[in-house]
Amino acid sequence: MIGQLLSILVLGAMISAVYALVAIGFTMIFGVGGVLNLAHGALIMIGAFAYLALTSTAGTISLPPIVGFVLAVAITAGASYVLYAGLVSYIEDNIVITFLATVVVALLVTEVIIIRFGASPSQLIPVVAGSITLEVVGTRIRYVELVAFVVSWIAIGLLWYYVTKTDEGRSILATSMSRRGAELTGVDLETVKSRTWLIAGAFAGIAGVFIGTLQSTAPEMWLNPLALAFIIVVIGGIGSIKGSVVAAYLIGYLETASIEILGPSFQGVLSLIVLAAVLLVLPQGLYGRELVHE
Amino acid sequence: MSSATDRLSTVTGRLDQSLQPLANGFNRLFGSYVGELNGLQFVFVFGSLAAVVTAPFWGTFGLVRAMTVAAIWAIFAMSWDIQSGYTGYISFGHSVLSGAAAYTTAMLIHNVDPGLPMAITIPLSILAALVVGLLISLPSLRLSGPYFSLITFVAVLIFYRLIPSFSSYTGGETGIQSVEVFTYDPIVRYYYMIVPMLVIAVVLTLIARSNIGLILVSIRENEAAVNAAGIDATKFKIFAFALSSLPMGIGGVLLVHFTGGVDPTTFIAVDRSIEMIAMAVLGGMSSVLGPLGGAFFLIVLRDYVLTDLAGLSSPARWTIFWSLVLVVLVFARDGLFRKLWHGLERYGGGGGRP
Repeated sequence: MIGQLLSILVLGAMISAVYALVAIGFTMIFGVGGVLNLAHGALIMIGAFAYLALTSTAGTISLPPIVGFVLAVAITAGASYVLYAGLVSYIEDNIVITFLATVVVALLVTEVIIIRFGASPSQLIPVVAGSITLEVVGTRIRYVELVAFVVSWIAIGLLWYYVTKTDEGRSILATSMSRRGAELTGVDLETVKSRTWLIAGAFAGIAGVFIGTLQSTAPEMWLNPLALAFIIVVIGGIGSIKGSVVAAYLIGYLETASIEILGPSFQGVLSLIVLAAVLLVLPQGLYGRELVHE
Repeated sequence: MSSATDRLSTVTGRLDQSLQPLANGFNRLFGSYVGELNGLQFVFVFGSLAAVVTAPFWGTFGLVRAMTVAAIWAIFAMSWDIQSGYTGYISFGHSVLSGAAAYTTAMLIHNVDPGLPMAITIPLSILAALVVGLLISLPSLRLSGPYFSLITFVAVLIFYRLIPSFSSYTGGETGIQSVEVFTYDPIVRYYYMIVPMLVIAVVLTLIARSNIGLILVSIRENEAAVNAAGIDATKFKIFAFALSSLPMGIGGVLLVHFTGGVDPTTFIAVDRSIEMIAMAVLGGMSSVLGPLGGAFFLIVLRDYVLTDLAGLSSPARWTIFWSLVLVVLVFARDGLFRKLWHGLERYGGGGGRP
């Protein structure tokens, strides 16, 4: 029993860090631009498949995993920027159209990936191979899980430093607090938005590679991380980075525990029910503000 | 450019004048219920109606089959539209409603009694759609804007995830494939789908053109004003959701008896909800007949033109399908059929109101 608890504690901590990464990208875009980006899951998928295409031993280019990882993150950040500059920036005034257009983009990416990679799941080469058995806990941890945990926290730490300590980053924070106020103090809204989409894309890329390795890489993999992202974001409060991290751990542990105790078929259901409950009781989430129309 | 338009409208205007007597007859009888038409619009509406009704006599097998499917999807798109298009509360969860009806039919046959007659399963299934509709709408309509859309999205995900969890009743991923189809005769089957669709189209148009439709549109435009006028907006939002779950249930039943079974990917998955929305948006939101046209346009394009004529693979078809939807979303937000309709009005030289 103690062993089971400890292994939930350890495994939950690993996956939750990645979940936090997924949610932060999603919430930043909402906080700054007021856009609910339903293509966020598709960006995560692009990250996973870019990594697959770059490192797969069966493919034409098989780069070392580390190089492939960096490039995949860069490609995803680029895709995210293109999505903003090429589509969302033209339609973001209409929230419904943006909603629909981004989800259609996700479906479109799915089909393109089926054409290019086929419909069946693929296997990613882990960034770092091997595993270690924790005697005390009685569970086995793959090195890639540890790497995912560490890289995620480094990324979150860097972002934290960026938005609180540097001027560029502070302008993102300012915009998410008050768009008009930021503009009056000389913040260029377009630049801030583009930068936010780039960061969110990079985060999605990192998360994509790890989710692709730890869970699955398949053309319908976008839905799960997207669902996770907004479960976490809604529970944590839309637009709040702190809320995302807290809620990511809540959901990460909830999922790990329900897999360990109830079995894998109940993985997502529990968190969805928690989400529905939170939405009804506390629509603005733990650390969120009410949706304001400016 | 404008001179070409003028020249065109002198010709079409004259054409319109000669068709006007026909339209006038219609306007005198029904104009006050569904709005007045000019000559061109009259020919457009009744020409398409005649084409749809007589399709089995001139269409190929593939086309008629595509139109059969399109009829079911037209029901979905119209039902979605009467709730989401009119009130502006965009639901991502409508596939759950049709899925609830379809699953009720299949589970009644599979788990209760294989010999249950349709006279029992069909009303029960439609009732199930209504119950699920109320279950979703009662709590979620307390929320507004994107939060409402999010929770309906979550409703789809919950139902989608619950199906494998209770696979002994629902058949899990593969679903239940033992439902009797209406008929194997493609022509008779066609009318099984077209007739309910036309009835639903007429009923929804009448509702949309009545005061109820006006209130629903007002909710979209300014909900506070509706409340201030002493009308309980929430009641009407719930009414709209219930109203749309009935035809969703009918459509679900038609679809399950068309395919002969249910499975989560064909009935519940998020893609299905987005498809309905795509059809409604492409045709023109908040216009009942627009979504109908959108459904026929998209399904015939995907299942007949791209499949039978162009012979493309399934992912290629979907790629074209979603790209087209995206283009319309960005460049023609009001929808293709609304554009066409106003075009007919303009080229008719304003003959509609002499």
